[in-house]
Amino acid sequence: MAFAAELEGVGHRYGKTVALDGVTLRVPAGCMAGLIGPDGVGKSTLLGLISGVRKVQSGKVVALGADMSDRAARAGMQPRIAYMPQGLGRNLYPTLTVRENLDFFGRLFGQKAGERDQRIHMLLDATGLAPFPDRPAGKLSGGMKQKLSLCCSLIHDPDLLILDEPTTGVDPLSRRQFWDLIDSIRERMPDMSVIVATAYMDEAERFDWLAAMDGGKVIAEGAPKELMERAGARTLDDAFIALLPEAERAEHKPVELRPRVPSADKAPAIEAHNLTMRFGDFTAVDDVSFEIPEGEIFGFLGSNGCGKSTTMKMLTGLLTPTEGTTKLFGEPLGRSDMQARLRIGYMSQSFSLYSELSVRQNLDLHAKLYGVPRADRAGRVAASLTDYELDTVADQMPDDLPLGIRQRLQLAVATIHEPRILILDEPTSGVDPVARDGFWRKLISLSRDKGVTIFISTHFMNEAARCDRISLMHAGKVLAVGTPAELTEKRGAKTLEEAFIAYLEDEIAADPAPEGVLRVEKAPAPSAPRAALTRLWAYATRETMELLRDPIRLFFALLGPVILMITVGFGISFDVNRLSFAVEDQDQTAESRRLAEQFSAIRQFGTQDPLSGTQDMMQRMGRGDLAIALEIPDGFGKALRQGKVPEVSVWLDGSLPFRAETSRAYALGVMNHFADLTAQEQGGAAASQVDIETRFLFNQAFRSANAMVPSVIMLILFLIPAIMAAIGVVREVETGTIANFRSTPVTRLEFLLGKQLPYLVISVVNFVVLFVLGLLIFQVPFTGSFWTLAGLSVIYVAATTGFGLLISTFTKTQVAAVFATAVLSILPTVNFSGLIVPVSSLQPASRMIGFGFPGSWYQQVTQGTFVKGFGWSDLGLNALVLTGFALAYLALAVLALRKQEA
Amino acid sequence: MQRILNTLRLTAKELRAIARDVVMLVLIAYVFTVSTYMVADAISTEVDHLAVAVIDEDQSILSARLTDSIQPPLFKSPDMIAADQALQAQKDGKYILVVDFPPDMERDLKAGRSVTINIDVDATAVAHAGNGAAFMSQMLGQEITRYFSPSAVDGSQIDVVFRSFYNPNLTSKWFTSVMQLMNSITILTLILAGASLIREREHGTIEHVLVMPVRPPEIVVSKILANGLVILIAAVFSLIVVVEWLLAVPVSGSVLLFVLGTALYVIALASLGLLLATFTKNMGQYGLLVIPVIVVMILLSGGITPLESMPGFLQVAIRILSPAPHFVAFAQSVLYRGSGIGLVWPEMATMAAMAVFTFSVTLMRFRKVLSG
Repeated sequence: MAFAAELEGVGHRYGKTVALDGVTLRVPAGCMAGLIGPDGVGKSTLLGLISGVRKVQSGKVVALGADMSDRAARAGMQPRIAYMPQGLGRNLYPTLTVRENLDFFGRLFGQKAGERDQRIHMLLDATGLAPFPDRPAGKLSGGMKQKLSLCCSLIHDPDLLILDEPTTGVDPLSRRQFWDLIDSIRERMPDMSVIVATAYMDEAERFDWLAAMDGGKVIAEGAPKELMERAGARTLDDAFIALLPEAERAEHKPVELRPRVPSADKAPAIEAHNLTMRFGDFTAVDDVSFEIPEGEIFGFLGSNGCGKSTTMKMLTGLLTPTEGTTKLFGEPLGRSDMQARLRIGYMSQSFSLYSELSVRQNLDLHAKLYGVPRADRAGRVAASLTDYELDTVADQMPDDLPLGIRQRLQLAVATIHEPRILILDEPTSGVDPVARDGFWRKLISLSRDKGVTIFISTHFMNEAARCDRISLMHAGKVLAVGTPAELTEKRGAKTLEEAFIAYLEDEIAADPAPEGVLRVEKAPAPSAPRAALTRLWAYATRETMELLRDPIRLFFALLGPVILMITVGFGISFDVNRLSFAVEDQDQTAESRRLAEQFSAIRQFGTQDPLSGTQDMMQRMGRGDLAIALEIPDGFGKALRQGKVPEVSVWLDGSLPFRAETSRAYALGVMNHFADLTAQEQGGAAASQVDIETRFLFNQAFRSANAMVPSVIMLILFLIPAIMAAIGVVREVETGTIANFRSTPVTRLEFLLGKQLPYLVISVVNFVVLFVLGLLIFQVPFTGSFWTLAGLSVIYVAATTGFGLLISTFTKTQVAAVFATAVLSILPTVNFSGLIVPVSSLQPASRMIGFGFPGSWYQQVTQGTFVKGFGWSDLGLNALVLTGFALAYLALAVLALRKQEA
Repeated sequence: MQRILNTLRLTAKELRAIARDVVMLVLIAYVFTVSTYMVADAISTEVDHLAVAVIDEDQSILSARLTDSIQPPLFKSPDMIAADQALQAQKDGKYILVVDFPPDMERDLKAGRSVTINIDVDATAVAHAGNGAAFMSQMLGQEITRYFSPSAVDGSQIDVVFRSFYNPNLTSKWFTSVMQLMNSITILTLILAGASLIREREHGTIEHVLVMPVRPPEIVVSKILANGLVILIAAVFSLIVVVEWLLAVPVSGSVLLFVLGTALYVIALASLGLLLATFTKNMGQYGLLVIPVIVVMILLSGGITPLESMPGFLQVAIRILSPAPHFVAFAQSVLYRGSGIGLVWPEMATMAAMAVFTFSVTLMRFRKVLSG
């Protein structure tokens, strides 16, 4: 086969934005093919289409001979393609160890344990990760993360390896090691095709074939040498610019570095003395000192995770150093030093502006917060928009802009208050060369024209070379400080990059040269159902491990139900006791006192001080101090003795209708009893011969707990499983690991079931705990069949976790998922599922809603098995309906989940 | 001055963020309109149209008359069933009450022999069963007396006049609607406030704010103000349009006073949401933490069952920890009893104190947690 990928007239758009515009391209097979071009030209989209992660919108995409629009062909092709998305370790799971990450990927391709072990061993050896198999991926340095990510891509021997900017944001040494690794792998797997997108032109020079892209189109293709010759340029960087269309080329001007005129005997802008920062046992920054004079551009270099960002945060006052001091312009930096903040502009590593505000609104808000006087504000914002070439996008949202422009906006925001010091943390990471040069022209002008001191960290050596002085940092320590020329000379190196690598190699033991065979004999493919189970199991074990390593989530998942059960079980009670009761006895006879005593005699009424009159009663009831009042009028005793029917009044506080009604029922009972007593004394009456006996079925003691506990189990087993599962899918979307689902053979059903399984198990544990609590703490008798309850509970939690997953597939953010789950589940389960009011007494519309959720069906199960002695035969319909819910939620989630991105 | 301005600017920013979140807005609207209306309309703890069956083994004039006396609105018109069907029917939850008139009831009574009428109550329906049974036996007793001595006016020896203040017919809709309003406020404020902080942390924007000349109190206050304002407006809208107009619940107190108290409650809740958010790192953790908090706050607020029915320790604990019971007491007092500030100030003061305390703890944790 001659081509790794063939594209014909491929177009792609996101809403109104055109990402690819009629691309026709043939990428040769069996070699290193590169895509180059600035941000936002469609490189990532193109790679997404070739790997099958994105849906083909128009045109034809063929990868390794398979048409990617065809579902069956795509599914057959996926085991042969590996896709590594953009972003440091973006497809890795930070809490899983190196080995567990690899194991997960091996399982996704249905590999058996023995084969996986062998492959993991081999890949770890080959990449120099062998010493750290048990380190969590989140704690690896950037370079190591990318190596691990590469290992994960190679675990299934792909025929086509697709790498999307694999070295962006990685230091030069790690970058070099990464490419050496790729070379050595290719040597041993010569027929593997590799397609790489990159923003580094020096990397692109070593590729076999290149396609240069701009504005959603391919502007040139061929071997790097050919491209350079065609453009008549000496470097690929220049060649790319020469190949750009006329209009865009005009924008590019070379960066001119003007010498700095040092200002004499001024206090240095930044002085750091013995800065040390510890997080627990880990020393992030170890005794770092430096001085930066005003107006200097000071570069900060070092591998990822060496303490650069931490040092910068200490200088801004975001972090308080464990030891050491910082002085800005000779004054010590205090903890909440507002004056110092006005002098500093800071740009953090990731985009940190408000995505809900437009470009102009962001600038305006920052101008206001920095206290730019009202008169100057509009002018300053306008000037910033012009200076940073943001005029045309002023009213757009930052999320819609390419990275390069977003970084310009961040710089504009950081300088809106005209700070004297700029602290910039990798501001150009991931930004293409043209945009980077524009960015640097701004920096140089700020430094040379306005005397702004700039403290900048970078991984680009050509940027480091433009700094007045640079500092090399490694593992929290400064290795060397000096001008770029000095440092290069000191190491006797030809370029700054070589010098930098030499310094670092002194510190790190060199990677062992990869050796040994890299091909493991492909084991015979496991049978389809077995492979499917392995993939499902991969997601289930991974989800479980992530949960086990998140103690907070685990704690609430297991103890939340217990806390809920105990508080709600005790708290929700319809047992009315000690209703506050007072009497106004205007009669003051033996009979009236006897009536009042009857009220005091039962525990349901708690007698308060007697009432002095209507005014007193109104006040006390108004304060809520009185639930029921009895007024016995003058002449009550006399009337009774004469055989007349005297009148008494009972006043109720109607603001709590349930309590009022209960009070009324008890008051009636007391009155009847009193009447019977009086009647007996006066010589019998017919009514006393009738004994009306109330028998309480299913709950002889008429205890609230017996009724509430089964319903509370229903409530808890809805809310907790749903909320646990609700973030399952959307979290992967937000962190980017969803790419693994899209680029591997795992199906939607396997993915969802794998996610559901751990939460199902936890929910079953919850059920057992709640059941035991109900029996032991709340002493609810259990009269039915335990296995019926247990079996239906498993089905119920399958439905409730399925409900959570369904919401998770619909929502775009975790916030929305939690919000929607809470709102949509609390209301029907609390109100319409028989917790407070039996479903049979609800209005028809509400009853329908109640039966539209699994809660009300399951409430009949818990209540029936606990107090009504139910077994399978009584609950057949419920079993059927609950199973239906579980299957329907899962089916809807499968339909809502998309295997490919738009 | 700069501080106040900063706070207001950040508040405006927060409001913009909420306004752009369509999912959020739809859910807020749903909760305060549709769901408030439906719950208030559906949930009633009053004895109202209880399902009743009668087993008439007597088949006499008396038993027929007693059966006829079981009538709406308290009870549904009874179904006649056979004795052997009764238990199964009640197991299936068809009837709350089954009244059994024994054989020869009328004859025995006439002969002066004593007679037992059984009322079987489905006691799993605790909210209705007890009162329903009490009313049923009271009514049957009166009816029998009247049957045998028609001369007595109503058969009883004492004429009891029941009068209910504030809610003369004990319509539970009056009660439920306002309690549902409280539930909505609780759910939404806690989630909105917590999410606003967690989202900023996840996007790294909070760090950006902290390097500016902005103090943590300004950030916290702006979040409370913005989220509180949205909820407050929605709640007042719901009270006036849904509760007063659609559900036709008369509101006797001052709406202004209610708004003031609700504002205090919302501030206390929003502070609590922010505080809880400082204990968690992501939405997954926050969701699991906030759900039990919401459910406990709602169910144990006194808005569903009376506080005095709870065990003593729980009453004390919930009154100290949760602003909800104070808000419920306040809302009932103002909206039903028409109380003025003179009567409800203790509740308002308690909510304010809780707000201040939670706010202070949040501030203390704020910088420590966010920079770490």
